[in-house]
Parts: sequence; C-alpha cells; structure tokens
Amino acid sequence: MFPDSAAPIHCHGEEFGTRLPENFLIADSRKTIPGRFFTTAAASVLQIRRRLSVAAERSRGRRILMPESCRQDEFTQMIRITNLRKRFGSQVAVDDLSLQINAGETFGLLGPNGAGKTTTISMIVGYLNPDHGVIEVGHSADRCGPPQDADFRKLIGIAPQTLSLYDELTANENLEFFARLYGLNGSALRTRREWALEFSGLVERRCDRVGTFSGGMKRRLNLAVAMMHQPGILLLDEPTVGVDPQSRHYILDCIQQLSSTGVTIIYTTHSMAEVQRLADRVAIIDHGRMIALDTVPRLIASHGGKSVVTAKLRRAAGVSLPGTVDRDQLRFESDDPVQDVAALKQQGVDFQTLQIAQPDLESVFLKLTGRSLRDE
Amino acid sequence: MIAVIHMAIKDLRILFRDRAGAFFIVGFPVLMGVFFGLILGNEPGSEGTAAIRITIVDLDQSEFSGRFIDALSGNRQLDIEISGPAAVTSSAAATEGYSDPVAVARDSVRRGQRIGMIVLPAGFGTRAGLFWGTPPVLQVGIDPSRRGEAGMIHGFVMEAMGTLAGERFRNPLQLKPTIDAARNELSTASNLNPAQRQLLLSFFSAAGQMLEMTAAIQSADNGLPGTTGFSELQFAKIEPLDIVVVPDPGSRAEQLQKLNSRWDISFPQAMMWGVMACVAGFSISIARERTRGTMFRLQVSPVTRLQILSGKALGCFVTVVGVIVMLTVLGYWLGMRPVSYSMLIVAGICVAVCFVGIMMTMSVLGRTEQAVSGSGWAINLVMAMFGGCMVPVMFMPESMQQASVLSPIRWAILALEGAIWRGFSASEMLLPCAILTSVGIAGLLTGTVILSREQS
Repeated sequence: MFPDSAAPIHCHGEEFGTRLPENFLIADSRKTIPGRFFTTAAASVLQIRRRLSVAAERSRGRRILMPESCRQDEFTQMIRITNLRKRFGSQVAVDDLSLQINAGETFGLLGPNGAGKTTTISMIVGYLNPDHGVIEVGHSADRCGPPQDADFRKLIGIAPQTLSLYDELTANENLEFFARLYGLNGSALRTRREWALEFSGLVERRCDRVGTFSGGMKRRLNLAVAMMHQPGILLLDEPTVGVDPQSRHYILDCIQQLSSTGVTIIYTTHSMAEVQRLADRVAIIDHGRMIALDTVPRLIASHGGKSVVTAKLRRAAGVSLPGTVDRDQLRFESDDPVQDVAALKQQGVDFQTLQIAQPDLESVFLKLTGRSLRDE
Repeated sequence: MIAVIHMAIKDLRILFRDRAGAFFIVGFPVLMGVFFGLILGNEPGSEGTAAIRITIVDLDQSEFSGRFIDALSGNRQLDIEISGPAAVTSSAAATEGYSDPVAVARDSVRRGQRIGMIVLPAGFGTRAGLFWGTPPVLQVGIDPSRRGEAGMIHGFVMEAMGTLAGERFRNPLQLKPTIDAARNELSTASNLNPAQRQLLLSFFSAAGQMLEMTAAIQSADNGLPGTTGFSELQFAKIEPLDIVVVPDPGSRAEQLQKLNSRWDISFPQAMMWGVMACVAGFSISIARERTRGTMFRLQVSPVTRLQILSGKALGCFVTVVGVIVMLTVLGYWLGMRPVSYSMLIVAGICVAVCFVGIMMTMSVLGRTEQAVSGSGWAINLVMAMFGGCMVPVMFMPESMQQASVLSPIRWAILALEGAIWRGFSASEMLLPCAILTSVGIAGLLTGTVILSREQS
C-alpha cells in the first residue's frame, strides 16, 4: 500500500566518498546561496539542492536519505499498524490506518487539529483500544505484541504534549518515580537518573521542585522522564510547544542525539521546520485517514509544485523572459530555478533583487489538507 | 505491589508538600477536637460549675484570720484571692494609685473580675469564734448581679466562723485567759443588773473549770486532739442527697454517664474532620492527575489500572489511619482513655476502608479539580451535618437522628465512640463496621468502574 522503498536508512561504510546521484537529498536541505544577486531577505528563504558526499554529512552527524534503489529489507519494523479504526460516538477519529515504522526511524506524524494524530498515538501506547485493527510493537524479527501488554509497554516511552510531571516533586523525584514504575531501582536507577539529568541539562536544578521550573526546563524534563527506562520507541507529542528558541534547539538536538542511538521516534508537531529537520519519513493524516506517506523531499517533489522565482529587473532588453513581467517585476515558476536564473543572467538580464521560493513541507501540507480552518 | 507502594508514597509526598492541604488534614482536626472539647464543659464528675471567685482582705493578719482563710480555702466552690496591706503595696494595683487593699478589692468586684470580697477587720482574731462579747464585724461585698452567689458566700462565711469556734476549744489553755478576762470584765461592768452578772459569772466559772478539766484530759491522752469532742464542733452535719433520677437505659443521659473525658466526644468528631480532609485531598488528586496529564503517563506505563487506583487507595488509607492514630495519641495526652484499643484499631480500619471508597467515588464526580473539590466538600459537609460532626447525634432531634443513619459519618463516629467510651462489645461493633466496610467496597467499585468507562 505504501512505498516502503522510500524509507531512509543509515549509510554504510562502502558508500564513503561516493558521488551521489542528482536526486539525492538531505533531510534538512534549507540552504542559502551567497552572492550579490540575492538580498538578505531573499536568501533567508531560499532552499537549493546541494551535492554532498556521504562522508561530509556523516561527519556532521546527519542522517542521509537513501535513493529509491535502497532495499527495504535491511530494516526491522518496530511498529506495525494494520487497518486501525477508532470511533467516538458518531465521530470517526481514525479510519483504516495502516502503517509500518522501522527501527531507528524518526517518523513525523502530521495533520490538522482533529485529524486523529493524538488518537493514533493513544492507541500506539495502549492508552486507547482500537475498535478494529491491530497494533504490534517490537522487532518483527524478534518478539512483538500489543502495547496493552505490560511487557511491550516497556518498549515505549512517551513525552505527552501536556507536561506530565508532578510540580510538587523535585526533578530527581519525578525521574525516579516514573522509572520505578518501569521496574528500575538501585544502581541502575541512579545511573539512568544521572544520565537523564545530564541529558536534560537539569543537573543544577535536580533538587528543585518542578513547579519552580520554566516551560523549557519542564519540556526537557518531560522528555527525560520518557527516556528513563531506555525505550526502543519514543513518542513525542509536540515536544517543543511553548518554549523559547534556545530550549527548542536544545530539545531538537536531544532528539537527534536519541535518533543517532537507534531509538525509533514518532514525532507529532505543527512545526513543519522541525519535521523537515528531524523526520526520515512523514505521514500526513486528515479526517482519520492517511493521505500521504513518504520522505520529506519526495513529498515536496510529489505534492509541492514548482519553485517560484520573483525578481526585480534592472535591465532585460531584448531577452525573452519566462512568466509574467509587471513594472520590472518578473515572476515565473520553474522546476530548476537556479539553472533558469543562471541562463537568464547569461542572456544579459541584470537582477536588482531575486527571490526563489521553493516548495516546502508546509506548502505540501496545505495542498493536501486544504486551507480551511480546523477548529476540531 | 511495589508499584502500588511507590504511587502511595508519591501521593503522600505531594499531599504533605501542600501546606494548606496538610493543615486541613492535621491541624484543622486538632483545632476542632480541642475547640469542641472545651465548649463541651468540665470533666465529667467535677462540680460542673465554675468556682465563685472572691477576694479576702485580711487586715488583721492574725493566727485566727489565717485559720478563717484556711477554712474557706478548703471549700472547692470558692476561688479565693487573699489580699492585705503587704499584698497591695507590692502589687500592680499600688502603681495605679491604690494603697487601700479594701479599695483594690472593691474595684476588682466592680470591674467584674471577682464576684465578691470579704474584709477581715483588725482585731478579728481576738473575737472570732467566741460566744460572748461583741462579735467581729466582717464586711462582705457582692457583685449586685450575682445575688445567687451572695447567699452562698454568706453561708460559707458562717460555716468558717463555726470552724473557728471549734478551733477555740481545741486548745483550752489558750482559751482560759480569754475566759478569765471576760470574768474580770463582768465583775467591773456597771451596766449589768446583779442577777444577770451572777448568772454570767457562774457560766464563765463553769466554763473555766471545764477548760481546766479538758486540758487535763488532753494531757493524759498525750495531747491528741479530738478526744475532747471540741475539734469536730459542728452546728449541723450535712450529707449530700442524690436527687438525680436514674436515667433510662439508652437515653442520652445514660450515654453521657459513660463519658470519661470531655475529649471522648470531641475527638471522634475531630478524627472525622481529618478523614474528610483526606478524602477531599485524594479525590482532588485523581482529578489533578487527569488535568495535568500525569494520569495518562501512569496509564501508559507498565502498571495496571487497578495498580494505579490501588496506589491512590493505599495513600488515602494510610493517611486516614495516620490521622486517627495522631488524634488518639493527642487525645490520650489530654486525658482521653479509650475503653478498648483493639476495638479502636478495628473501627479505624473500617473507617479508612469506608472513606477510601467514598474518595474513589468522589474523584469521578467531576472532570476538573474545581468540580471534584466543590462537589466533594458539599457532600462532605452534608454528611458531616447529619452524621454528627458538628452536633453530636445524641443531641439532635429524633427526626434528625433517624435521618443520620444515611450518613457514613454517623456510623464512623459510632464505631470510634464504641471503642473510645461506649464500651461496645464485638457484636455491638459489628453493625457499624459492617456498614462502613460495605459503603467502602461499594465506593471502590463505583469509582473504579466509572474511571474505567471514562478511559474507554
């Protein structure tokens, strides 16, 4: 049903130093082109493709998305959802959802308000029972089972959108309490607690009550609590909502760090930039149904449309211009805007300003789910 | 079970870190117990009324004025303050401009600080307790609004004077010079007719002989007092007559006769106030867990729903039992002596089970903390009013007493009182304990089922 071949993998050693094909994208491809053609404002929104060696990206700790030729069977599925359906009264929250998420994958789950994301996550963690369908967690090659089973629940950690912490308890006490529910105690508990405090940057505040923490600190602790028992699957429900940019970057770095250790992550958010930065694959659901599932670049390629070039011309006499020109303002759509702009420059067009707007995940999202307001 | 204990410990930590919550569980019941205990009155078996506060101004400062004061001081119905020239000059009253002890005492009566005052004049000791001559003049001042006590004070004064008369005859050798002086005075008196003088002289002569004989008898008996019969000189011997009607079995009066301490009634009430605070605190905690999202996190952890609810129940149970133990210890310190500690343990456990169940049901009455708190306290207060937390059930009208059987608090207080002062046997304890346990189990099941339905 879904193009599993699009799933990302870590690059292997034999790929070191190889030249990548033209359609090889990195997950976070937002880059700017320096140069006198572009104003600062225009450059800040520009995205272009770049050729990078695998080694260069690996040295930055980034994950490389493999082209279609990659073989899916190199993965182990960690979550299998089959024909999932959930109804609340007459409202269908999830409608025949099927999905497989691979071990070590960072999976973005997007959708407008009321699309069924939270219901899906609630069923994945075993909080809600589906009306129909099956959810299995665990390595398919090994042992797997439903999340309602306590043994398999231990595989899952969740950082809910609502800060699920006890304000009256200290950071230490929160970490220890939740860890004990997963069976941790003694030196193992202390070791994990120290790791979690370090991970969340709260070592100095370990003995302070959570009620005295800032929003960002609580978010970090919320994430650390989810990781205390070293789950193989981590569900993050809008983990950066309501925090300042510094805390958001810290949290995103933490998530990337976890991803690099092989943790399977399901990430829901309304921030398309975060998904583009983190997710290997993205599913977009609406009205309980999945409407798209692929890597970010391919979603953009499939549904994002063409890039839009907008330029103010200083001189363009005798040149055949694409698109429309209105009072020295040129606007045209292009599949390869950089090449087209370079060709125009060669023909003698002098740009006063130039802006290239490439389609991004947000444009894909809006195209697929529409622009009408969703007030649940 | 370990997860349940961890959750209970967590809840106890959270509960007692909220100072206001902790006050309502620990401090408020103590205040209620002490307050109701104090307004219930004196210890059972005491006189039942406050002593009459009087001041005695001793201007004589003699041996007999001291004996008079001692005689009055032995009366438990009097609260005596002794004043005199020395006391006034050294007291704060002197700084207010009073140098006259009589004026000081009068002012204290006028201000309502004392009910009455008695002034023993100079020379009181030379005339007190004698049957002849001019008697000493005692000045007695009484608060005009306390006429009832005025008659009592007069009676107590005359009783003390009678004691002094007995004191006079206890030492005949000391009294003899006084009689001799009286005889000499009679001999020289010019305002007596001869017959009257002769009659009195004969009386004093006989009295003198009697004293000499008495002294001889005392000497032969090694001076033991009481052998002459004067030491117990009384004008009348008064014996108390029990005019209280034997109360009907089961009546309020019959129940009150079993009380050992004023705290026997107030402390079971106080325990229930503490128990209600526990119930309110824990029922809110479940709602708080839901609104904060920690309930979600608990429910997706590898613990069962039953374990989560058991953790709450265990925390509440421990707190309820802790409140009962704390108030029992405090009550013991104040004078409460439970009739049966084993019955108290049984009653305490049944009360805890009952109110843990009620807590579980209350916790699902609303989805927010405000809703649960409001509805919880409303139910608590109605149960408290009908159950006897404010006015003991035995003091309620008959119809209210009948209605109170619907309140678990009535049965809880009955069970606690049964162990503390009613002296319930095991069979008598069975009914309240069975009701409490049943209510508790029903509450636990109701709360658990509703919570489960809400989740699904």
